[in-house]
Amino acid sequence: MIGASILKEIWLLLRDRGRLISLFALPVAFMVVFGSMFKFGPDKGKPRPIGVWHEVNDARGVAVETQLNATPGFVAKAYPTPDALRNAVAHEDLAAGLIIPTDFDPAHGKLIELSIDEASPIQVRGPIEGAVIGTVMRALSPVAPRDMPQLVMPKTPPGLDKPIDDISAFQVTVPGNAVLFAFFIAMAVAITFAHERHTGVWKRLLAAPVPRWQALVGKLVPYFLIAMVQLGFLFGLGAGVFGMKVAGSVLALVLLSAALAACATCFGLLVSSFGGTERQIGSTVPVVILVMGLLSGCMFPRLLMPAFMKQIGNAVPQSWALDGYYAVLVRAGTGVADVAPQLIALTAFSLGFALLGLWRFKFE
Amino acid sequence: MTAMLELTGLGKDYGERTAVKALDLTVTKGEILGLLGPNGAGKTTTISMASGVVTPTRGKVVIGGVALASDPRAAKAKLGLVPQDLALYEELSATQNLTFFAALYGIHGKLAAERVDWALGVVGLADRAKDIVKTYSGGMQRRLNIAAGLVHKPELLILDEPTVGVDPQSRNHIFETVRKLRESGITVIYTSYYMEEVEALCDRVAIMDGGAIVALGTIGELVAKYAGKGVELEVTGDLDQAATAARAHGTVTREGNVLRIEPTAGIAPVLAAIEATGMTIARIESRQATLETAFLALTGRGLRDVA
Repeated sequence: MIGASILKEIWLLLRDRGRLISLFALPVAFMVVFGSMFKFGPDKGKPRPIGVWHEVNDARGVAVETQLNATPGFVAKAYPTPDALRNAVAHEDLAAGLIIPTDFDPAHGKLIELSIDEASPIQVRGPIEGAVIGTVMRALSPVAPRDMPQLVMPKTPPGLDKPIDDISAFQVTVPGNAVLFAFFIAMAVAITFAHERHTGVWKRLLAAPVPRWQALVGKLVPYFLIAMVQLGFLFGLGAGVFGMKVAGSVLALVLLSAALAACATCFGLLVSSFGGTERQIGSTVPVVILVMGLLSGCMFPRLLMPAFMKQIGNAVPQSWALDGYYAVLVRAGTGVADVAPQLIALTAFSLGFALLGLWRFKFE
Repeated sequence: MTAMLELTGLGKDYGERTAVKALDLTVTKGEILGLLGPNGAGKTTTISMASGVVTPTRGKVVIGGVALASDPRAAKAKLGLVPQDLALYEELSATQNLTFFAALYGIHGKLAAERVDWALGVVGLADRAKDIVKTYSGGMQRRLNIAAGLVHKPELLILDEPTVGVDPQSRNHIFETVRKLRESGITVIYTSYYMEEVEALCDRVAIMDGGAIVALGTIGELVAKYAGKGVELEVTGDLDQAATAARAHGTVTREGNVLRIEPTAGIAPVLAAIEATGMTIARIESRQATLETAFLALTGRGLRDVA
């Protein structure tokens, strides 16, 4: 019976363009858009231009310009006048620019102007501002800056595996969107239950010589497998087309995917236990899934969220899945044992959703 | 006569409300039993309990000698249910639908293919086997709905209002299908809002009202027992007053603006009693004894008026 259910759900899926798009095409579109927005990693060959204006032959201006060009990720772009530079920043042609006045004298309050939109969020402005200020300080340091020995060494703390050298945007956007869209299987599960109740097919299932638990499992297993195929497709595409790397164990990646697929399917059972029509499910469940995705960092890094938001994020399974995936994708040597907390958390969420769903589920 | 379905003391409560009281019914192998009743009479609940869709609050269901509660697999394997709704996957073809429903009964592979061909042949859809169901007409979908209940060759087929919304051609096809099934030895329970369908098809009829069977027998038996001849009257004025006056001289049922009267001693005293109240009789018509009049006498309501 379960085999027939799987086959039937595959037939139905192949005929449902909307569902195919939401499960397979939409996450790919999101990956491409987000991956292209964060131009680092494979795209880092195009450094970010920083505007510069100084008087011709101003030694300090030349030093700043030279140092900017020597800084990874930046390139100096000269402007003919200070206003031309400010205008470029105001029109968002530039993220930031430096205006080095002729009478530059920090001791008397005559400072270099960093032209930047102070209204942009600190999460966006902060890294650029900090890096540009650091570059200026190195350029104008009285202590032979270019010969200065390295003072700071980045180092991963004990307990965390060392990350791979080249972390591309797709190391982040592939798991983020895979986790976000894997949960859309919950909507498909809930809609199929609502549809079968509405059309009377559910009555046929109950009238057939099939135990009720088997009728239920027969509905859930195909969606678990479809979610696994979806995750396999997205990670396969990420690795094969977008250059995403798997730094840790592939087995850990597969186990995390199985735990995530089970969790999303069980969430679908819980949603379907609340009843509702296909239209009601179609209009409410995506909102719930998107909010869960936002809280978990699927669309915006949790690192940049306030502490209380991070705490809330721990209450949704997507956070655990994302943490697990990120460790496996970027930290060399991450094995199954390293993602055991995430696997346990996802299993606990699955059990919770399944038990609550079964408790509420009305067969008749 | 072998019993194909035995319902003993079968009842269902939903909280404080009793949908079906304690119903006893035996359906004999090879017969077509019509189940009639107004909305809320308990027909669908009875059918749902008999087919294992709804768990009874009390009583027992035995299908082909197998108790549903003790061996649901064996009992359900003997039964085919055709729900009132179109219980089909519209996005799939007829073959894909029937292959899935056959699998629910453990029928796979070559045997499933044979059964699918047979069921489609019975309902006259063999030439549309590969077409997607949503491209079918309403009548064709109804016929496929029957094929889905037939594909495992059940001994007992329950058809819950199988002709709702179909064109006359498809309705005739469904009638022929039901007759052919009976000829092949399949027992059929047929519910309908159309009295003429039940009269045309069924060997016996059970009339339900208020969660109980109020009458059971052949159409001839029911008509003879309950559908006494009488008159229909339309009066101008207060119908309640006219009904009260007529009750002294016979059995009176009211349907809309019409009084149906079965006089105890001729029609003359009835007419006189009504006219004595000062009302005018606008129409008077002799009434034939039919299943419909029997139904009216038993339930006090017309079947389609409450549908």
